[in-house]
Amino acid sequence: MTARAGHAPPSGPPAVARESLQGKYAGFASRFTAFAVDVGVSLGVFMLALAAISFAARVLTGKDISWNKGDTWVITAYAVWAFAYFAYSWAASGRTAGMAVFGVRVVTDDGTGASARRAVVRTLALPLSLLFLGLGFVGILLGDRRRALHDVIAGTAVIYSWDARAARLRFLSRG
Amino acid sequence: MDSFQRQRWADGRLVTRREALAQAVTERAVDLVMSAVDVDELLEQVDLNAVLDQVDINRLLDRIDLDRLLGRMDLNDIVQHIDVDALVKQTDLGAVIAASSSGAASDVLDVLRSQTVGLDEFIARWIGRLRRRPYAGPPGPPDQPPPGAGP
Repeated sequence: MTARAGHAPPSGPPAVARESLQGKYAGFASRFTAFAVDVGVSLGVFMLALAAISFAARVLTGKDISWNKGDTWVITAYAVWAFAYFAYSWAASGRTAGMAVFGVRVVTDDGTGASARRAVVRTLALPLSLLFLGLGFVGILLGDRRRALHDVIAGTAVIYSWDARAARLRFLSRG
Repeated sequence: MDSFQRQRWADGRLVTRREALAQAVTERAVDLVMSAVDVDELLEQVDLNAVLDQVDINRLLDRIDLDRLLGRMDLNDIVQHIDVDALVKQTDLGAVIAASSSGAASDVLDVLRSQTVGLDEFIARWIGRLRRRPYAGPPGPPDQPPPGAGP
């Protein structure tokens, strides 16, 4: 395996990559970093959209529009955008941009891709996992199937979708 | 029972004393001849190329039942003994793999994913230690979907 408990994780491809990880349940770090990337991407795109609207309004009307992040409608607009971002990504390909970067994807209990209905349910249930200091994410750490609360509600799981063994061979071939 | 007496019981039957004596003499004679012959010198005089020229390899191969031969071999055990890492490093296989894969972006992704998986394992090992449950690697469903299965 990659690192013995109590030691820092090593650099380079981990020894676990001697086997392909495809289909194995994804761990906490992969899922959390993917989620962080997604939050950054969705926020970044939203801010860009607001800036574009401000610029267009100034060009067309000559008036400046100031955005207050505390405005209810700004928050609502972001919530709608974030919902569309996550739900569409999971329904279309089983992965968001962050998940694609870190090689994980959402599947159903039987291993097939998540349907649109499951994707919507999962997206709506996601805030529930964030409640109580993210208590809903504990299942990723302690559960045998590494499922968060929104996974349980939607009947989904997150698996590794990249071929770790092929990556290791590529790494060795360049060594 | 000496060797002479043992010969009398050859082939599971009691042979005559004369037959046993003849057999013992023959064996002794063969031993003496073999000790007198210089096998190395004999082999030097043999033209192995000429012998091999007379061997019909194709006919020999036709007589080999490859299915039966492979059936008796444990290929999984053989594969387990192959050091794939060393193979990739020391042969052109590595160059083939490198050439078949994409460029720098793919390398960055590989490293990023590998590091994150390493962190996954690091965390999982610590959790296993705290729960006093041995960690045996990333869990997976009993019936894993084929790679790439998706919507």
